[in-house]
Amino acid sequence: MNSTTNTSFISPRKILIIAQSTVTQLVRMKVFWFLAPIALLFLGLQFFDVFWYEGPEASQPQQELQMHKNLCLGTMMLFGSLFAIVSTALLIPRDIEDRTLYTILCKPVPRLDYLCGKLLGVIFVIGVAMLVMDLLLVITLHFRTQEVLGEMDGFLESLGWPDDVVAQKKADIAAHGPTLTLQFGVLAHFFKAAIIAAVALLISTFSTSTIFTIATSVLVWIIGALQSIAREAFLNDDTLGESTSWAAKILGTLVSLIFPDFQVFEAVADAAARASEIMAADMIKIAGLAFFYLGIYTVLSWFVFSDKEF
Amino acid sequence: MSKGLAVEIKNLVKDFKPSLRAKTIRAVDDVSLSIQAGDVYGLIGPNGSGKSTTMKALLGLLSPTSGTCSIFGQDSMKVDSRNDVGFLPENPYFYKHLTGAETVRFYGKLCGMKGAELEDRVREMIALVELDAASDRRLGGYSKGMLQRIGLAQALVQDPRLVILDEPTAGVDPTGSRQIRDLILTLKERGITVFLCSHLLEQVQEICDQIGIIHHGKMVREGRLEDLISLEDRTELILDKPSPELLEKIRHLVAAQEGTTLISEGHPRTTLESLFLEETK
Ligand SMILES: Nc1ncnc2c1ncn2[C@@H]1O[C@H](COP(=O)(O)OP(=O)(O)OP(=O)(O)O)[C@@H](O)[C@H]1O
Ligand SMILES: [Mg+2]
Repeated sequence: MNSTTNTSFISPRKILIIAQSTVTQLVRMKVFWFLAPIALLFLGLQFFDVFWYEGPEASQPQQELQMHKNLCLGTMMLFGSLFAIVSTALLIPRDIEDRTLYTILCKPVPRLDYLCGKLLGVIFVIGVAMLVMDLLLVITLHFRTQEVLGEMDGFLESLGWPDDVVAQKKADIAAHGPTLTLQFGVLAHFFKAAIIAAVALLISTFSTSTIFTIATSVLVWIIGALQSIAREAFLNDDTLGESTSWAAKILGTLVSLIFPDFQVFEAVADAAARASEIMAADMIKIAGLAFFYLGIYTVLSWFVFSDKEF
Repeated sequence: MSKGLAVEIKNLVKDFKPSLRAKTIRAVDDVSLSIQAGDVYGLIGPNGSGKSTTMKALLGLLSPTSGTCSIFGQDSMKVDSRNDVGFLPENPYFYKHLTGAETVRFYGKLCGMKGAELEDRVREMIALVELDAASDRRLGGYSKGMLQRIGLAQALVQDPRLVILDEPTAGVDPTGSRQIRDLILTLKERGITVFLCSHLLEQVQEICDQIGIIHHGKMVREGRLEDLISLEDRTELILDKPSPELLEKIRHLVAAQEGTTLISEGHPRTTLESLFLEETK
């Protein structure tokens, strides 16, 4: 008998091979074309004055910049998440339907490696898409900030305010430009999209159709976004007696375990849009949370997938 | 020349339950079979008799309801058992967005191959299945027979010691199917074990050492081919350009012999397959 190479439980090389093939697959499915309309949207915003913006005399000249950021970040969040759901939901059920999976699992590829590879590939593509959108955002925002600053310059000078007040005013505006804080917001949306991809991965391991996977993932996404509101309403419901309130609490905890809680990510992204300071500690916290969710959903997916028959 | 068992299936039972309320279907019912390393084993049986299910269980794609499968002594449910196997599923589909060469390369990488060794192997495999001209085209544009060939190239990429082929000649033209037959014979010469199932009994008969007949999930007959099909008490003579006088003499001799009867006499026919091969050369 010749030497049998031991296939370890999880092999980074095989994960990378699967991830690479997933990226190729998505790229050749021309998914990056969806960036074209987004680019147009971002550029279009550039030439579009917000209707309530009243010129440099307004008390809040930053509003124009904030509006731009809100729209762009919102678009990135929406497209990032939808992209995560749709592409993940398309990949695995399709491999099963096309029986491509047979041929892959017949090679010495552990099932966990296959799942991790698929997820990694999708997350990589989301990352690239986010980066492109981020770049567009930074460029358009940069020009817009320059424009507002230019307008302010003339206006503040005509008022004849002391220099330090003018400098403060300008610094306030610059804080609404393309800053590191803004990047934190983008990162929060990226984490969110990655988690949504992991949720879609889990659902696609037991669902039998693409459409079910997409619909359920969108539902989880919405529940995740509304979760804390729902939980509060549930826990504060007085019609539930004393004795049932602990049951409600358990249920609430259960919901928060099953569905990802996106509130923290939303909070960071909101703070970024408002240009309020974000602590590095907060970023580490959400990064940790994101990895925690990714890990949980991947392990759950693997539990379902390892017993699956084809 | 026993070199150990390549495949051992013991009392395999596989039930399917299509939905919660449907009653279970027993696709494979207590099948046992073993294949000596170096043999070519043909599993034949009607549609739905459990051939593909047996193969999938052997590859760990399905977990047996009861019984065990092993490949070169390793349990099929373990990933390691797949190091030495190449599998061609029935009606194979691969990623449509990859080209022929990329497909073979992808599967080679999954088997842990890399670098120049992998590239050489990819070229060798593409040449083996005669897809050189189409190797840079995406599989989306391949015909059924071409997909089958790529499937074969993919199965053989890591030079496995066992090859499992589920209807390797389905959808392949007679010339191609003859080539696949020759390929299997080459594999056999190199000492590779082949486990195949096919509905082309003529080919199975030509290449297999050992046959199993499966029906309704049960193994109904198993054994070495020559034992199963030879009619020991009959003999066939085929003569090239015999004179009428010679034939007459033979008939007289036979008639004179006590206990021997002449069962049939006539011109042997060429098979449709050979005729097709002759005409499309
Ligand atoms: N995933 C499945 N779920 C339910 N029933 C199945 C499943 N796979 C196979 N079967 C059933 O198991 C039986 C055996 O199927 P199998 O595919 O092994 O037949 P086969 O011998 O390969 O036939 P063919 O010559 O048509 O390829 C059939 O009755 C089939 O309906
Ligand atoms: Mg079959």
